[in-house]
Amino acid sequence: MLCPDQMIHASRSPLRRLTRFEYNNTVRDLFGDTTLPANALPAEELGNGFGNDADTLSVSGLLAEQYFSVAEGIGTRATTAPAFAQLDPCTSTVTTATEDACATTIIQKLAPVVYRRPLVAGESDALLALAKATRATAGATFATGISSVIQAMLQSPDFLYRIEFGVPDQANPALKRPSGDEMATRLSYLFFGTAPDATLRAAAKTGELLTKQGVLAQATRMLADARSHAVVRFFFDNLLPINGLTDLTRDKVLFPTFSPTIGAAMHEETQQFLEYEIFSGTGTWPSVLTAPYTFVNDALATYYGIPGVTGAMFRKVALPDTTQRLGLLTQGGVMTGTVTTNQSNPVLRGSFIVNKLMCRQISLPTDPAILDQVKIPDDTTGKTARERFSKHSQQPICNSCHQFMDPMGFALENYNPVGQFRTQENGVTIDASGSVPGTPGALNGPVELARKLAETAEVQFCFASHWLNFAYGRKLGQGDECARASVEVEFQKSGYNVRQLLLALTQTDAFLYFPGSM
Amino acid sequence: MAKIRLNRRTLLRGAGSIAIALPWLEAMGTEKRAYGAAAAATRFLAVYTPGGTVRAKYTPTGTEAAPVLSPILKPLQPIMDLKKLVIIDGLDMKSAIGEQHQAGIIAWLSGTPQKGTAYSSGPSLDQVIATRLAAQKQRSKKSLEFAVRWATGKSKGLLSPMNVGNYEDNATFNPIPPRLDPVQIWTDLFGSLTPTPGGDALIARKKSILDYVDKRYAALSSRLGATDKQKIDQHLTKIREIEQAIGGTTPPPMVCKAPTKVDTADYNPRTGLNSSDNGSVKDLATDNAIPKVGMYLMDLLVMAMACDMTAVGSFQWSDTEAKHTFPWLSLPEHHHFYQHDGGFKPAECEKICTWYSQMHLYLLQAMDKVDMGGHTLLDESVVLFGSELQDPPTHTKTNMPFMLAGGGGGLVGGRWLKYNALPHNNLLVSILNLFGDTRQTFGDPKYCTGPLTGLV
Repeated sequence: MLCPDQMIHASRSPLRRLTRFEYNNTVRDLFGDTTLPANALPAEELGNGFGNDADTLSVSGLLAEQYFSVAEGIGTRATTAPAFAQLDPCTSTVTTATEDACATTIIQKLAPVVYRRPLVAGESDALLALAKATRATAGATFATGISSVIQAMLQSPDFLYRIEFGVPDQANPALKRPSGDEMATRLSYLFFGTAPDATLRAAAKTGELLTKQGVLAQATRMLADARSHAVVRFFFDNLLPINGLTDLTRDKVLFPTFSPTIGAAMHEETQQFLEYEIFSGTGTWPSVLTAPYTFVNDALATYYGIPGVTGAMFRKVALPDTTQRLGLLTQGGVMTGTVTTNQSNPVLRGSFIVNKLMCRQISLPTDPAILDQVKIPDDTTGKTARERFSKHSQQPICNSCHQFMDPMGFALENYNPVGQFRTQENGVTIDASGSVPGTPGALNGPVELARKLAETAEVQFCFASHWLNFAYGRKLGQGDECARASVEVEFQKSGYNVRQLLLALTQTDAFLYFPGSM
Repeated sequence: MAKIRLNRRTLLRGAGSIAIALPWLEAMGTEKRAYGAAAAATRFLAVYTPGGTVRAKYTPTGTEAAPVLSPILKPLQPIMDLKKLVIIDGLDMKSAIGEQHQAGIIAWLSGTPQKGTAYSSGPSLDQVIATRLAAQKQRSKKSLEFAVRWATGKSKGLLSPMNVGNYEDNATFNPIPPRLDPVQIWTDLFGSLTPTPGGDALIARKKSILDYVDKRYAALSSRLGATDKQKIDQHLTKIREIEQAIGGTTPPPMVCKAPTKVDTADYNPRTGLNSSDNGSVKDLATDNAIPKVGMYLMDLLVMAMACDMTAVGSFQWSDTEAKHTFPWLSLPEHHHFYQHDGGFKPAECEKICTWYSQMHLYLLQAMDKVDMGGHTLLDESVVLFGSELQDPPTHTKTNMPFMLAGGGGGLVGGRWLKYNALPHNNLLVSILNLFGDTRQTFGDPKYCTGPLTGLV
C-alpha cells in the first residue's frame, strides 16, 4: 500500500511569500487601504500557473526597492487623517508627554496582527525605538514616527513571508505541526487570501488549530463565509482563459455584435455562474460542467438571444435550449477565450481541454522540420473548420498528437469564434461529431462533449490537481503521492463536490504536519 | 555634429621635420583608442527583439569594410555612416539548449543552456559587467532592466523562462524582472532628482527603517533550514544593496535633467496579466501606444545613464511569446502569429524587424546626442542588439543577427564582420574584454572557443 493510514505522510513545505493579490487583500484588511498598492510590485514567477509557486520564488533588487516604495505609500496613507484615528483613539489626543505611550499602544495592537503572531521580548521596544528615531529627524511629527513603524513592519520577513517553525504534536511529540498562529495563517490565505481574522486568531490561542477536527471546523466556517469567494474567483481567473476578455477585440464586420463590453460580460457570466454553482448549487465539478443555467445581464442576454432580461445586473436564467448549451465549457467566455483569430480553431479549443481540464501534457513539437508545418490553414482550404483542419490528421507524425485534441475541438464547432451558437459555417452544415480520446464511444456536439467530460474521472482528478498546486503554493510532484491520493479519495467520495475538495485540502498530512519530523 | 579628430601621425606629418613639443591634446582622446591603448568601455546596453529576423532581407551586401545595408537594417544607415555600428554575422548560438524559444532568450546574454525547464545556468553578461563597473564606482542602480509590452501569451504577465534574459551575478543566477511602468520608472528615477527641502531627514528616516528591516532578516536567517534560509539571505542582500546606495551617490553631471513626462494613460504596462496562452486577447489601446512608450522608455534609460544613475541597462521589446499586435504597422495579428503560429509570413516579419531597426536608430541617436565631456554617451558605450533565434519558422539559431554599436573599449565601427560558424559565447567574452575584463571564456566553456578577433 502506497500510503498506509497509520503513518504520517508529510510533504515538504517551502517558505511562501505573499503574492500581490494577497498583499493587497492584507493591507486592505489591516489599514483599510484599498488602493491595490501591491500592483506596483514586479511580476511574480509563473511557476505553477498561479504566481504563488514557492519553489520558483526569488528576490530581485527591483522587488526589494518596490517593497520600500509600496510600504512608504501605505504608511503615509495610514497615518494621515482620517485613517490615522483608526489605528487608535490615542492619536487624536496625543501630546509630547503621551507620545511614547500612544506609540506603544499602536505597536502592541498592530504588530501582532501584521506579523500574524504574538510579539517576542524586545520587539515592541525595537519598533518604539524606530518611531522615536524618526520623530527626532527634522520636520517629523508623531505620525511620521508611526509611519516609519508601519513601513518597517511591511518590509519585514515576518509580514512578507509565511514563516513556520512548528510545535510538537501533542499526541505524538516526536512529530511537529504548524503552531496555532501558523495554521491560522495557512487557513486564512487559503480561504480568504488575507491575514487571519479575529475568530481565527482566537482559535489559534485555544489550541483548536492543533487538531485535524479543529482545522476542519475553521475551514468549514470560512468556506461558508462570502469572503472565500474572492479566492475562488482568483483561482478561476488563472485557470480559465477568461481574464482578458475585457480587452478582446474581434473583426467588427464578421462579428458586429461582439465588443470588449460583451467580453467583460462573458467574464462576469462565468465567474458569477461558478460562484453560484459552487457555493449555492449542487456544487460538484460535474454539475459545473453540465449546469442547465447561466448568468446574464441585458446586453449579454441580447447577444445570446435569451429573451426577457432587462437591466445591467447579472441574474440566473435557465438555458433556453439545453441541446445548444450546457455547463461551463459551452459558455461564451470559454469558447471565445480559446480562439486566437477571427476563425474558430478546433485544435486550440481541444488543446485547452487536454491541457487544462484533463492535465495531459501535449506541448508543441520541437523538431524544426515538423514545426515548420504547424500553421493555421487559410480560409480558402475548406468551408468548415473540419475541412480546414483535417490535413494534419492524415499525416501520422501530426496525428500522433492531434488525435488527442482535435476530436474534442470538432465537437465544439457549433460555437463561432465569439461563442455564438451556429449550425452552419459558410453555408455548409457543421459536422460536430467527436469523442473524448481515451474513453470509449463517440459523441456529437458540445452538449454531449460536456456530459462526457463530466463523467470522466480524469477530468475530476485534474481539477483536484489544480487546487492542490494552488493551495500548497507549488507544483506537486514526487513525494506528494499521499497528499494527492487522500484529497482525490475525499473528492470522489463526495461526488466530486468542490467545497468538499477545498475542505479536504486542509485534512492531508501535508497540510497538518511538517516533513522530516517523524 | 562633425568633429575634427587629431592624431599623433597627423600632427607629426604636419610638423614635418620641425621639432615641436607635442602637448597631449584633449581632441586626441577618442582617436587614441584605435591604436591599442583604448580606454575600457564604461556603459553597456543590451537590446532584445523577439523572433529573429528575415535573413534574406537582413544580410548586407558589399564588403566587410563597406557594407551596403539591406532593407531591414537600412534605417541604421546614419549610425553606420558615423562608423559607430558593427554588423556581426556567422555566429551560432550553440549554448542555446532547451525549449526552442526559451533556450534562446536564456542563452543570448548568459551563454549557458537552460537548466531543465527553468532558467539559465550562469549569470548574464550585463550583470557580470555591472558587477565589474559597480566595483569601480557605486551608482544608485547597479543596472536597469526595462521592457515594453512584456509577458504576453503563455507567460501571462508573470516572470517565466519565456521572457527573461537577465540573470543575477550570484550563486543562483536569479532571473531579473524588468521594470514595466513608465509612470513608476519616471518617479523612481527622476522624482527626487532635484533635492527637496528636508532631504537629509528623509534619508535618515529611510536608513533607520532599513536598519530595522535588515536586523529582522538577519535574525530570521539563522533560524531557518538551508532552502528557506537561502531565500531570506537573498532578500537581505537586496536590502543591503539599497542601504549602500542611499545617500552614497555623487551629485549628477550637468547633462542630467529629468526628462519631460509623457502621458501614457492609454498604455497598460501590466496588460500581460490578462493575456491568454495563444494570444487571443488583444489589447489594442496598449498595443497602439507601444511606439510612444518605447521611445519614452528609451529616453528615460539614456537619461539614467547620462545622469550616471547606472552604467548598465537592458531594453526588451516584448518577450519570446511576442503575442501583441502592431496597429501602427497595420498588422492586426500578433508577432508570433506571423512568425509561425499562422504560418510564416516573411513580408509581415520584415515589416516588424525594420521597425525595430528604426527604434534602434532612435536609441543610438539619443545616446549620440549626450555630451559626456568631449565625447558622446554612445562613444563610451557598447550596445548589443540581438534576438533569441535567427529564422522564425524553423527556430534556427545559427548565423544569428547580432549587432554592436558604440565605441567603448576601442570598438571600431562602420563594418560588417563575418565569422565562420563560431559560437556566440565568443562575442559575449569579447564584449567583456571591451570593459577591461581579460578572461578568455564566458558562459558554458563547451560553447566558447575564445574572444573574436577584429572587433578593435
